[in-house]
Amino acid sequence: MSSETVCLLLPEIILALVATLMYLGGAFLPARRGWSWLAAATLIVAGIALARQTPAGASGAASELVSSVSADAFAYAVRWAVLGVGLIFVLLAARTSERGESSEFMATLLLLIVGLMLVSLAGDLVLMFAGLELISIPTYVLLFLGRTKGTLESGTKYFFLSVLSSALMLYGFSFLYGAAGDTQLSGIRSALVASGAELTGTGAFAALALVLIFAGLGFRLTAVPFHFYAPDVYQGTNNPNAGLLAVAPKIAALVALVRIASVAMPGTERLGWQLALALAMITMTLGNVLALWQNNVRRLMAYSSVAHAGYMLIGLAVGFAVTGGAAEASNFDGVGAAIFYMLVYSAATAGVFAALTYLGGRESEVDTVDQLAGLTRNHPKTALALAIFMFSLTGLPPLAGFWGKFTLFTGALGVDARNPGDSSLWPWFLALAIVGALNAAISAGYYLRIVGVMYFRPAASTPAGRGPAGAAWAMAACVLLVVGIGCAPGWFIDESTRASQAAHTALGAPRIVPDTAAGDSLRPSLPATASAQLLPIER
Amino acid sequence: MSMSNLLLTTILLPLAGSLAICAVGRDARAARATALVVSLATLIVTAILLCNYVPGDDSFAAWSYAWLGETSAVDIRFDVALDGISLWLFGLSSLLLLACVLLSWDAVTDRPGTYYALLLLLGSGMLGVFAARDIILFYVFFEFTLIPLFLLIGMWGHEDRQYAATKFFIYTLAGSMLTFLALLSIVLWDYYHSPDGVMTFSIPQLTAGLAARPIAEPYQLWIFLGLFAGFAIKVPLFPLHTWLPLAHTQAPSAGSVLLAGILLKIGTYGFLRFSIPMLPDATVTCMPWMLALAVAGILYGALAALAQSDMKRLIAYSSVSHLGFVMLGLFALTSVGMEGGVLQMINHGLSTGGLFAVVGMVYERYHTRQISELGGLARQVPWLAFFFLVFTLSSIGLPGLNGFAGEFLILIGMFQRAFVFEASTPAVAYAYKAIAVLAVFGVVLGAWYMLWLVQRVFFGPPLESDHEHAAQPPRDVTPVEAAALVPLCVFVLWIGVHPEFFLSRMRPALQPVAQAAIAALAERERAQPPVAANAPAAAVVELPPGVLSLVE
Repeated sequence: MSSETVCLLLPEIILALVATLMYLGGAFLPARRGWSWLAAATLIVAGIALARQTPAGASGAASELVSSVSADAFAYAVRWAVLGVGLIFVLLAARTSERGESSEFMATLLLLIVGLMLVSLAGDLVLMFAGLELISIPTYVLLFLGRTKGTLESGTKYFFLSVLSSALMLYGFSFLYGAAGDTQLSGIRSALVASGAELTGTGAFAALALVLIFAGLGFRLTAVPFHFYAPDVYQGTNNPNAGLLAVAPKIAALVALVRIASVAMPGTERLGWQLALALAMITMTLGNVLALWQNNVRRLMAYSSVAHAGYMLIGLAVGFAVTGGAAEASNFDGVGAAIFYMLVYSAATAGVFAALTYLGGRESEVDTVDQLAGLTRNHPKTALALAIFMFSLTGLPPLAGFWGKFTLFTGALGVDARNPGDSSLWPWFLALAIVGALNAAISAGYYLRIVGVMYFRPAASTPAGRGPAGAAWAMAACVLLVVGIGCAPGWFIDESTRASQAAHTALGAPRIVPDTAAGDSLRPSLPATASAQLLPIER
Repeated sequence: MSMSNLLLTTILLPLAGSLAICAVGRDARAARATALVVSLATLIVTAILLCNYVPGDDSFAAWSYAWLGETSAVDIRFDVALDGISLWLFGLSSLLLLACVLLSWDAVTDRPGTYYALLLLLGSGMLGVFAARDIILFYVFFEFTLIPLFLLIGMWGHEDRQYAATKFFIYTLAGSMLTFLALLSIVLWDYYHSPDGVMTFSIPQLTAGLAARPIAEPYQLWIFLGLFAGFAIKVPLFPLHTWLPLAHTQAPSAGSVLLAGILLKIGTYGFLRFSIPMLPDATVTCMPWMLALAVAGILYGALAALAQSDMKRLIAYSSVSHLGFVMLGLFALTSVGMEGGVLQMINHGLSTGGLFAVVGMVYERYHTRQISELGGLARQVPWLAFFFLVFTLSSIGLPGLNGFAGEFLILIGMFQRAFVFEASTPAVAYAYKAIAVLAVFGVVLGAWYMLWLVQRVFFGPPLESDHEHAAQPPRDVTPVEAAALVPLCVFVLWIGVHPEFFLSRMRPALQPVAQAAIAALAERERAQPPVAANAPAAAVVELPPGVLSLVE
């Protein structure tokens, strides 16, 4: 381990060290308060450490890979976002956790964040798996700490399914290793490029690996066949935990999918977009339709998170399909859109759970939608914040959610818009965009119900309210993000596009010419940076 | 202050006002006073803008700012300007916004702060829609109007308000999401086919770009249908109108006024701004269907209105009928018809807006909207009856009032369209003439249901069965209410007497809208040579001389 690597991983190291100290301190010190301050301070210090680094590649360095760590702009963007998410959740859970084991809660949260950051940095299957497990294992602890009514159903359920999914993913990784003979993503990539577009020989295992990896990560993303745990688990835990579950594993899954599937596995694009497209359609529709019938807020938000996972898969499908280079479809390559959408979704969802935590007060929890009735009369500001989050999740302008849908749909419609005449892709992606658009209307059904309950119904039973101040601050921060991104999305969209391009260029190799699924003429395979400057071909 | 800054001020003023009201808090008087000042200021600034408009100016008071940042590759701009088409709709929005504040003055007592804040927010949205010159900015405003209106209907509406608000919202959203895809497709097509490789979202640039490099025909049809989904629901065109009577009936007065007066026009405005100029081939292909749907809406709306027992519902159905006329005018694809269509948008905003306002006042006094529970109001509240009659006469197209000018031009336009086909394909000509005749029949029905309504509610014997007002007769129109209604009446009369003032300013902007579509139409007619290929404007229509002078 070179000193360079230590420098690179400094933020993660700081976080992990402090987390360990907090575990120790919690065991010996009687203090309940103050741990959240320590956690927040640690996150800020980690942020400062991160700020002192410059993304590799920005300086034009030849090798962006320090052993198995790829610290490209993609990783930096994700790490910044993750630190932000961490800070919001520290605030959100600050006082709630005082009821229980505060130091353990905060330390576990920090470890989970380290896991997320490691996944984004991983340039190697082993590190990636380690990062993913560093997310899963703290999650089990959190679910145990946040158990309600003394039952462990939620934690147990999550544990077994999570282990199963990890096993599936690991199985996929092993096939990938078998196909490529390497655990480093760049090595896998060049091996698969060498085996050609048809993935002959051992390369054929790559397809199997892709399916298994999709399954394993689909669990964390709550894509449809692997989603069924989400409602039960969310319902069975408290609001801060449910919020964390709705955000953190999804970020990890998306980042890992981008790294492994869409970047490191050339030649599987065709299977990739078909898989992602089908999953996206089913996930969105099922999530939204099932959410319509829920009365428990956490169950409702669980299905909502399933639906949004479907939206992110749109971006991934586009990313797979746009194979000619990361920047092919101008500024709207799907992966960038998916990253941006993740940000937008996380802000709104974390905000919803912050508001619910706040409303729950110090003792109770908000469980059902009916408890929110007439909220605007007692807590007008919280009601307004919740309404803003709901409208953003629906995707209405001028809120962040609108721009998320904008980037996704532009990406989907842009697939092969260049030769619509002789391609087999565009009808699929048009259908995907239409399904996505109609789903926005379906989702309005339940988001509006919450708004309606808050604004149109007389107050039935007032929620306790006046909850922890941290939750209020977290909520305010999320409102600021949602409205801010809504009013000035430019920088965020550009950064996420840049991040996704960096993920593609980090591995250096020119992208493989796709098999002719696109029916497209063989485009020269150029690095993304070069093709970004290509002007569109005349009609 | 330059005109550009004035335009921006006009759009942002209500927004600022609504934030100010939020700051003022729960003080009812302060809230409504702020709302009044802001909406009055908006109207004054709008009036200054309108007075300075130079006919023919396509980008009057243009103000542009790179929304996503100068360096961003996605060049979405906050780009606003007025042209002849948007000019009057913009003015109408300001006018009705003020009217709504005034007519809510005493009517709204429940959470007035929130109410006026939402009303002003809606005002900003409406003004923005018509001024936007960027396709995404247009869509942002278009969708944004849903939020305040949803809350207005849901919080201050009548008995079934939650259902009505939700249905209105989801119905509109489902359509407009498809419209969104269609708008994006337009942008992407232009991007992939323009030689300079710049992704532009500017409506004028896109219009020019698509005129030079039209979209391939099958895609035009798909994109047209996508736009249709959102705009036709908004209009609402005949089979997609089911959300409208419910929303109108349940909305508070001001909500109904703005919904009918402005928000429905966004649909027709969308057809005019996007579908017709950008997708000429699809427009020509769909023209017969659009005309048929429009006339079906005219007749269906009129017949349904005849059968209503609820005043607001009746007027809501009359909206379906009137908007059918607007669509008929636009899709006749003749310059006269389009002028009539745009004029009729304004007319409908004035007259139906006024009708909803008066019905709201009646409801406030008698606590019922049921026609059967009312009668002889003219004796108790003569001024209210007067205003209602003025708007009724305007709505049914009494010559000398605004409705006549609009409907008349639309019918001329439709007949012209029919005559153009006469030489080449007589069968088509007959069909179009039939459509025009049916539309005329719609005018007759319109007079029937409206006058019958007036007769039942305002004249005849007073019905006081369960409403004992004998002790204290309901007061007549208050000065505040009069202040809301009188400006509308002024414009009703002004447009009726001198429509040319309004038409002359919109004509230059309307000219190029249908050019491509008319050319495409002529192209298809070219099989039958000489007469058919003529520009429709040149078609000779015999008009009674007296009538002509009125129009010109």
